[in-house]
Amino acid sequence: MKGLFRIIRRYSLTAGLITVVILFCNGVLLMGIVYFTAWQEGADKYYGISLRLMERVGEGFGMEAEGYILNEKGRKLLEDSEFVWAMALDKEGTVVWEWKLPEEIPEQYSIQDVASFSRWYLSDYPVKAMVKGELLLVFGCDPEMVSRHNLVVSSVLMEHAPDYIKLIIMANLLVIAVVVLCFGYRFYDSMKPIAQGIESLAAQKPVRLKEKGAAGELAGKLNAASDLILEQNRVIAKRDYARTEWIAGVSHDIRTPLSMIVGHSDRLSKDETLSKENRMLAENIRRQSLIIRQLIADLNLTSKLAYQAQPLKKSRFQPAALARSCIADFYNEGLGGKREAEYEFETVIQEELEQVWIDADEKLLARAVRNLIGNSIRHNPKGCRIRVTVEEQREDIRFLVEDTGSGIPENVVQNMDAPDSTVHIMGLRLTEQIAKVHGGRLEFVRREDGRYDAGICFPRSC
Amino acid sequence: MQNYNTKEGGDIVEPFECKIMAVDDHMGIRKMIDAILRENGYKKIISAGNAKEAMGLFLREQPDMVILDIMLPGEDGFSLFGKIREKSDVPILFLSAKDEDADRLFGLGLGADDYMTKPFLPEELALRVGAILRRTYHIPEMQKEREKRFFLGEREILPEQAVVRYRERETPLTAKELMLLIKLNENRGRIVTFDALCAAVWGDSYYGYENTLMVHIRHLREKIEEDPSHPKWILTARGLGYRLVKE
Repeated sequence: MKGLFRIIRRYSLTAGLITVVILFCNGVLLMGIVYFTAWQEGADKYYGISLRLMERVGEGFGMEAEGYILNEKGRKLLEDSEFVWAMALDKEGTVVWEWKLPEEIPEQYSIQDVASFSRWYLSDYPVKAMVKGELLLVFGCDPEMVSRHNLVVSSVLMEHAPDYIKLIIMANLLVIAVVVLCFGYRFYDSMKPIAQGIESLAAQKPVRLKEKGAAGELAGKLNAASDLILEQNRVIAKRDYARTEWIAGVSHDIRTPLSMIVGHSDRLSKDETLSKENRMLAENIRRQSLIIRQLIADLNLTSKLAYQAQPLKKSRFQPAALARSCIADFYNEGLGGKREAEYEFETVIQEELEQVWIDADEKLLARAVRNLIGNSIRHNPKGCRIRVTVEEQREDIRFLVEDTGSGIPENVVQNMDAPDSTVHIMGLRLTEQIAKVHGGRLEFVRREDGRYDAGICFPRSC
Repeated sequence: MQNYNTKEGGDIVEPFECKIMAVDDHMGIRKMIDAILRENGYKKIISAGNAKEAMGLFLREQPDMVILDIMLPGEDGFSLFGKIREKSDVPILFLSAKDEDADRLFGLGLGADDYMTKPFLPEELALRVGAILRRTYHIPEMQKEREKRFFLGEREILPEQAVVRYRERETPLTAKELMLLIKLNENRGRIVTFDALCAAVWGDSYYGYENTLMVHIRHLREKIEEDPSHPKWILTARGLGYRLVKE
């Protein structure tokens, strides 16, 4: 939801910025046009209505015997200007000079006429008038090119014009801000359910949105995506369940015949009527059957851990005590038939750890630690020294099992995630799974000889 | 034959005289259980292959204990358990190929006396059956178990008097020393971790008792060893715990 709010905020800011930029551009453009039309020298030619031109034409008038005349310079100015005709009136309102005067223009004017055309039109011609000496000069413009409006502006208004302009700009900005916020809110409102839907989808929760409004189509697609994900999850869960059940079923079926093998071989190994050699063979069968029993149990557990079918049974215990009891168990169970004297255990437990209690699945963690110790024993049939270290690493607790024997080869470390049929690492993978369900990991520590020792690391509060 | 106790109804029973019924659909397993129990001294063993047959046999023979498989054709072991319980309180041990914790807890939750998973070691079955029978029919003897005297070579430990007897001379043991020795003897031949010893004697974790435990073991060695600095009976498993050597 924070993400959506950020999007809306950016949208509003961008909209505001765009508005300000447009207003600024408009201002610059307007000022540019005013400058070019009103102040540039050449503009006179096209709009020929400036007072300056009329002034210069006026200077060209002179009084001759036959009446008023305009000199060559004045005439040239008129020819080049946009005025289509011109005339000069004397004090009595009689036309005393004319240039290209159309027929419909009268020759005599009263005061009323002058007042009227100086403000409006003269026979549909927009005109400009100017007093020059005793004459009133009247210039006619092309009605097609020029129109005339009368603007009466109060001086109060003109005086406060800058304030009014500021006010107008402020009001504009305010209106824009309100509009942007309103649209932003509407956008936010219509997008809110979509954002919630996407969040639920990311959290693998079912999504059911109303398919109405502007975002209706999007909502529909989200609903469909949610249905698809739920269906896929259901299929995957069903398949995982079936696989776990199948493995559990197979191991169950193997257990009964295995009971017979274990039971009978055990009895034979103690049968005094058999030769010592045969009793040894029976003992061997019994031992191997127990290994199969362990493998079945591991297979079952690994499949359950892989498909989250193994609930954690947490209890409070001390990791130091767990390490000691795991090692003691190996001695007490006869080190899997190996000669005790050939294996030497060393336990290194940090003193602070003697006081540490954790909440975890004790049985599973013991299994992980035993797997690591068991590997050291199994892969070193001629004996070795095994060191079990329990230590704190920042917030984690680490059980590290090192041995002086063969160690874990590089290809096993490399193939933990990509199982290779040539490496048999079910025990290690099970250990890794147990670490992972406790929020931890399997760690490999490289030795000087290039091989590895393994340990499990998991958070104190797992 | 002296330590007879009475079971419900007042009959006198000796463990090996108990009648044990095994119910399993697999004939091989039934025969094997029969053989294992007979080898371990039990004489009266009967068996059935399904729930119906088992119920009939149970009513006819009135066994003293039942070993019950869970996966049976037709009616399962849990249901058969319920029917047997309606009639009698005989101890029942589930022996199943189902090793799920859920099944184990369900079985024990129903009130079963024990739950074992297949494959099992014959010795373990015999020990568990023996323990259940003693627990059910010979309770006073169980209580005395802890009080039983035992030997460390020529030395005799008498828990009831808390003394070590050696050549007519008796050396007293303190309460803690005796508790340590009993705990070690209960697991004789096996390493008992520091943690387990401290839990048994002081009811606490090992931390803070390191030296105390060492001192008690030294005193104990002085009382039971020929040469306390080269102990023969209580051996140290370095970094782990102590072990009382089997004779």
